[in-house]
Amino acid sequence: MNTEELLQQAEELLKPWAKEVSRPEDNRLDVRIEREDLLAAVDALILKAHRGYLAAITGLDHPEDEQVELVYTFPDMAALVNLRVSVPYADAQVPTLCDLIPSATLYERELMEMFGVTVVGTPDPARLLLSDDWPEGVYPLRKSFTGFDQLETESES
Amino acid sequence: MEAKEPKKFIVPIGPQHPALKEPGHFEFSVDGEIVTGASIRLGYVHRGIEKGTEQRNWIQNIYLLERVCGICSHVHAMAYTLGVEKLAGVTAPPRAQAIRELVAELERIHSHMLWLGVAAHEGGFDTLFMYSWRDREVVMDLLESLTGNRVHYSTNVLGGVKIDVTPELADTIRKGCDFLEERLQHYLRVVTTDETFLARTRGVGPMTLEQAELLGAVGPTARASGVTRDIRIDAPYASYAEFPVTVVTDNGGDLTARFVVRIKELFESCRVIRQILDNMPESELVAKVPRRIPAGETISRVEAPRGELFYYIKSGGGDRPERVKSRTPSLCNWSTISTVAVGHKLADMPMLLAGIDPCFSCNDRMIQIRRKGHEDQLWTWEQLRRYGIEYYR
Repeated sequence: MNTEELLQQAEELLKPWAKEVSRPEDNRLDVRIEREDLLAAVDALILKAHRGYLAAITGLDHPEDEQVELVYTFPDMAALVNLRVSVPYADAQVPTLCDLIPSATLYERELMEMFGVTVVGTPDPARLLLSDDWPEGVYPLRKSFTGFDQLETESES
Repeated sequence: MEAKEPKKFIVPIGPQHPALKEPGHFEFSVDGEIVTGASIRLGYVHRGIEKGTEQRNWIQNIYLLERVCGICSHVHAMAYTLGVEKLAGVTAPPRAQAIRELVAELERIHSHMLWLGVAAHEGGFDTLFMYSWRDREVVMDLLESLTGNRVHYSTNVLGGVKIDVTPELADTIRKGCDFLEERLQHYLRVVTTDETFLARTRGVGPMTLEQAELLGAVGPTARASGVTRDIRIDAPYASYAEFPVTVVTDNGGDLTARFVVRIKELFESCRVIRQILDNMPESELVAKVPRRIPAGETISRVEAPRGELFYYIKSGGGDRPERVKSRTPSLCNWSTISTVAVGHKLADMPMLLAGIDPCFSCNDRMIQIRRKGHEDQLWTWEQLRRYGIEYYR
């Protein structure tokens, strides 16, 4: 199957949950879905149809909408399928993918500490990358984080 | 009596520990000598590079991202520049693409030979470690004479490359490849026939094809379990469509297979290097790229020595990126450890950890000597090498 056919097949598979579908690049299909449908969509694409694997979960901060957008990328040969889910700051939660794809655990741990999105049901919610003395509730990859105040860190030490 | 939850004995290893030269923390729960579970804590060398890219312009980021890794520095810069070029709607000239592939394959040789030495060392075979690192100097010298640097080659610019290959250099590289191929044949024989070494690798850390796919293994770690996945073939970038490589797999799934796959990949690298040198396209080296990159987002993937390297790049139309995400192959392969480790002896852990080739850091070195009252003295590579030999005599 060539890239075009792979993408068409993925679009067909994801149709029941797709809220918005776009083809921004020749080899890429972006499908916006609700977080409630995430597991069902991944199950259909990866476990039932064996189309691709989870390559990355990319977090994107949108401070103007008070939202964090998550991009789940599933490559299959040269074809790329992105499942995009947006969650509001006030209710920043997504279900875990680990029951379907065990390797998602490290990506989910990174997502939690960097963007402050709670991944409900992830097997190990401990910090992966940030140091033990990193303050709670500070998420470095949100746009609002611009570094610690120099005075603050000096007075603490 | 009430049944009690069995108590676990946990052996913490790291972040500073004798097994790896890189900081990482592992907790192995053991039953006697046998490992029953493993957990990982990383981030001791986390430098906030993804956040750092948002404060730097498109050009500065090439140099920042090249420093994500001290072993596979070229692939990071290549993945990034390929992605930015795609956003800008620019394609680098064919000669530049060929040189990108050439440096990437030389880098693969140096990376796999470094790994061969480290893995042999973890297995207690220090002779193999020293010989493979001695021979690795040949490819390091090739990289240095080609790019001027041993570690951070700085080959890529937006729109192309900044180095060229002269006919004399091409001959030097060909000769180097001849030597390396001969040595690699020898190493392949050693790792598949030396009984003492095989006792440390054969049947150790077996991973089936299904497990490798489920756990998201990438690169040689996955290919040693029969997964035919290689970005160079699946989604050719740079000049991999013109100068293709063949995928190397093994069905062994154990540590021996990981040795065999990595060494065999290097024969493929040597072959394609010669093919590039013999058919080097004639063209400019750089295409013009605007300072502001049009708004949009793209995903750029390349095959690093350790597996698939993933870059997500988003531009808001300015002179710096909105977001750059990099997912390195080592991260994928870590998650295989916690499953594969179970049932093995604690003493096998260093070999298992080294088996996925986690990324270490390298050091650069100085060739300019400044002394008060003296003129700056610039040493050639030969002078420095002779100085080093004399110094330790």
